[in-house]
Parts: sequence; structure tokens; C-alpha cells
Amino acid sequence: MIWLTIVLMGVIVFFNRYCFLAPSLPVRLSQRMRTLLGFSVPAVLTAICGPIIAFNGDEWRALPENPYLWAAVFAVVLAFFLRNMLAVVVLSMLMFTLLRALF
Amino acid sequence: MTYQSTLVEPPMLRLRPALQGAVAILPLCLAVLPWGILAGSMAIQSGMTGAEGLGMSAIVFAGASQLVAMGMIKSGAGLLAILVSTFFVTAQHFLYGLRLRECIAPLPLRWRVVLAFLLTDELFALTGNQGPARFNRWYALGAGLAFYLCWFFATLLGVIAASSVSNLDSYGLDFSIAATFIAIVVPMIRNLPVLACVLTALVLSIGLHHYQVPGALIITTVAAMVVGLLCSRGQA
Repeated sequence: MIWLTIVLMGVIVFFNRYCFLAPSLPVRLSQRMRTLLGFSVPAVLTAICGPIIAFNGDEWRALPENPYLWAAVFAVVLAFFLRNMLAVVVLSMLMFTLLRALF
Repeated sequence: MTYQSTLVEPPMLRLRPALQGAVAILPLCLAVLPWGILAGSMAIQSGMTGAEGLGMSAIVFAGASQLVAMGMIKSGAGLLAILVSTFFVTAQHFLYGLRLRECIAPLPLRWRVVLAFLLTDELFALTGNQGPARFNRWYALGAGLAFYLCWFFATLLGVIAASSVSNLDSYGLDFSIAATFIAIVVPMIRNLPVLACVLTALVLSIGLHHYQVPGALIITTVAAMVVGLLCSRGQA
């Protein structure tokens, strides 16, 4: 049963990924649509981040001692000044670990 | 629709971009390591075998939907409910397909299938803004495969760790992915429309999660994109 679930999940995820890559699908992208899609990367990545920072499962993370929030703020500031992804990731994970030990 | 003839590139023109892609995705591999460990240990905790946990990472290859599905399996949800939530949790991939359509749709079938299978949030974060002129299939393949291997081995680590370390999910392993996405998004904020888009996504994602709206991720994403578009109209 678990294996059936896994395989069917795989089929659904692959369908979602492949769907608009199929050349037979008659899609013509207008200029406005292209501009719209240009916002897809920042939109989706931010939308994934929000709940991770604010929630633990279904529960709000406690304020103000939420290490996710302050480490995320730290990461934003760091990423603004330091345009090096690896350094931002490593340093803000260190900050996160430090804050977790503190709170 | 024009089909590109299957050009046979000399080995150097395949290997070099493939390696460059693998190197470019390394920071994301590092960040997904804790997530993969979490996925592996969650599998054991939700009563799956190690093989099933690894199989899920190898076949589904979508972190968020795997975590959601394992939570549902643990709470005894039915197959249909799991599949419906899988569909909604991974609906953002429709957008990835649309965005990369010009780059990938003209490629031969086997390329489309492989790159579609490897098209994760992370690979999209790396290639989504390249455009057809800069897009290189070998680069995308190298990055995608490196990320796939990393995800698999991280899951393996999690499966192994689950038996020796308890409560792996209380270590805040999920912060790494937030840090990575912040590191990717912040440099993209170069004008007001992108800022408006990001702020909308932030507020809406938290609000919709709070009210447990199904399909919150795709709703938030599309709404934030529309806000970006509306703001850029005023500018242009």
C-alpha cells in the first residue's frame, strides 16, 4: 500500500512538472504573461519561506524568542550586503544555531 | 513549434557545463541536507520502512510533499487524500514548466522527461531566470543530477540517524532551506515591483497557512506574481 502511494505520488508530481513542458500543449505566451512569470522565482521561494519561519507545523512559533525569525532577519540583512549565497547560508545557519542555544 | 535537431555536442561541451551546473547547485545541496535528513527520519517515525523512505525520495523527489504525505500516512489518512494534497502542494511546478517552456519544450522527448523529473524548487531557483539564450541543457542536467544524488543520500542519512537520534525534527533542520531561499531572493529585489511581490508572498503565505487553506502555496505564488505585474505596469 505504501509503495502504491509512493508510485502514484511520483506520477502526480511528474505530471505537474512535465505538463507545461510538453510541446504539443498549445500555449503561446504573451508579453504580459512573460512579465508575470518573471515574478515566479521570488514569489514561490518567499511563499515557501514564510510558513517555515512563522509556524511549527500548525502552531505559531513563540514571539519574540523565535530563532527562525531573527535568523531569517539576519539572513536578509546579510544577503543584502554580502552577495554570496554560500556565505549567507552558512553564516545564517550558524546564527540560527547560536540563537537556538540562547532561547 | 520548431524542433531543434539533436545536435551531437563534443564531449567538452557536455561535460563542462554539466560540471558547472553541479558546482552551481552545491550551496543548495548543502542547504537541503538537513531537509533530506528530516525526510528520512520522518519516514521511519511515520512507520515506513527504510526502503520505503528511500524509495519515496528516489521516486517522488519533492521534499515538501514528501513531508506532508508522511505526516498524513502517520495519521492514517486515505490514499486519495494523500494524492490530492500531493497535487496541491506541488502545483507550483505548473509555473516552473510555463516559465521554462521556451527552454525545454523544443528539446527531444528524453531531455524533456529527464529535466522535468529533476525540476525541483531548487533547480528552478537556479535556472528559472536564465532565459532561452543562456539556458544550457547540460548545465541543468548536471545541477539536477547532483541535487538528486544529494537528496537521496541525505534521506539515507536520515533513515540511519532515525534509529540512533531521537526527535530529529526538534533540531530546526528546516531553517536551512529558508536561509537558502532568502539568499537567492534578496539579491533579486532590485525594484519596487519585485519588493511588492515578495512582501505579498510573505504576508499571504503566513496568513493562508494560519487558516490552513488548501493549495496555499500556489494561491500565494500566483497572487504575489499578479501584484508584481500590477506594480510594474505603473512603472513601465
